[in-house]
Amino acid sequence: MIARTLVVAALLLAAVVLETALFPALTLFGFRPDLLLLTTVVFATRDGPLTGVRIGAAAGLVGDLLVSSSPVGLGVLLYGVAGALVGWSRPYLAPNSVTAPLLLAAGASVLSTAAYGVVSSLLADERVAAVLVVQASIAVGLYNALLTPALQLVARRVSEAFPLRTAGLE
Amino acid sequence: MFQRRRTRVLLALLVVAAIALITLDFRGGEDGVLERGRNLATTVLRPLQDGVGTLLSPFSTAGDAISDLFGVRAENQALRQRVEALEERRRVIDDLQRENEELRSLLEIADRTELDTLTARVVALSPSNFEWTITIDVGGDDGLERGMPVVDGDGLVGRVIQVTPTASRVLLAIDPSFSAAARSATTGEVGVIDGRGGDPMVLRLLDPQARIEEGESVVTSSYLGGVFPAGIPVGTVAEVTDGSAPLTREVLVNPFVDFTRLHHVVVVFSTGIDDVPPFEGTEGLDFTRPPVPPLLDPDLVPEQDADEDVDEEPGAVGVP
Repeated sequence: MIARTLVVAALLLAAVVLETALFPALTLFGFRPDLLLLTTVVFATRDGPLTGVRIGAAAGLVGDLLVSSSPVGLGVLLYGVAGALVGWSRPYLAPNSVTAPLLLAAGASVLSTAAYGVVSSLLADERVAAVLVVQASIAVGLYNALLTPALQLVARRVSEAFPLRTAGLE
Repeated sequence: MFQRRRTRVLLALLVVAAIALITLDFRGGEDGVLERGRNLATTVLRPLQDGVGTLLSPFSTAGDAISDLFGVRAENQALRQRVEALEERRRVIDDLQRENEELRSLLEIADRTELDTLTARVVALSPSNFEWTITIDVGGDDGLERGMPVVDGDGLVGRVIQVTPTASRVLLAIDPSFSAAARSATTGEVGVIDGRGGDPMVLRLLDPQARIEEGESVVTSSYLGGVFPAGIPVGTVAEVTDGSAPLTREVLVNPFVDFTRLHHVVVVFSTGIDDVPPFEGTEGLDFTRPPVPPLLDPDLVPEQDADEDVDEEPGAVGVP
């Protein structure tokens, strides 16, 4: 269990480093993917809501500590809730569907990004325009959907190498 | 069933913890615990971001090259025209520069372009799509402080908002929370310029009726207690529109700096604002205010009894 935790922590670290150091040069319509959110969604889809909440909270905290204009805790809240909701929706997905996880990742990304933009606008003095929130949500949703297969592969390898002790109960 | 309940409990705890963190962050200010957490995260991640950025730079430059390929011909044509215009302008500027130097030496004014600067490399951008910040590879050990202006060869980049010993975070001028005093380089009309994310910046003029036209350059101003050295190029006026409030106008400004391709920036240490020299030949002069004679002769004003004052209605004027 400790080894799995360390591996997931390393994955989150890799996600944030790639998101801040590589993807600014590989934008889609000027926007970057949200790899921290995508990692949360992929693991929640695979392992269920409990894992989704845990990884979402950790991913949100990492993101919050690297952002200056939004308060620490906002990402923890939104990514944690996103992880739980995606995990709870898992039983309703077709077992061997290829498109369902992609659509789920895209939908979760759109909603989470929009929620982040709206809530951070409400908490700050002067924040982003509504048009920008919509544009960013759609772009992040598309980008995350494109990257979902690659991250699914990584998540599958991690789950096979370090299986959850409570797997099957969730 | 047990797992479902456990998830709900964990989620409830997470919501409470997140609200506590948000409150703590708002109340903590610049020296709070969470701000130190941010500093730690920036310090720890900086070498990793630096290494990964360097390692994967061929991929990122390849991405840039592909996107550039489509616009090369048009850009080449535009650049040729710009070179011709700049060559013509340079001839005029050479003469103006010589004249400026002569006048400055006559007036003994220090050259305001003599700024203490430090070049820095951009190692990362913010992970959020709603915040425009960069991380640079210099920090407190190099003498950086919060609020210092950051520029590049094209103009204003932003200001330092977080400093750790080995890295710093810079708020870009296009971030919606960025604001700076600015003026038109042509007419000198002053105002405040704000960032708006991916959209053009907005200049709000102090005089809404002031004349300003498309194509004019906008530079920073030290007016209004501006923290930036005066004269740093910001952008060109793209459009002048009616503002949201009555009798106001919004001046949309396209920044000179390409914020998607920042690799090296320059941190400015000094403000560059000329100190006003003391007036010469004023030593020994007495600036104390001379006594002002009373408007009425006190001997001619009759004294009033204390009893009369008590009996008077509030606000009533006693007539002698």
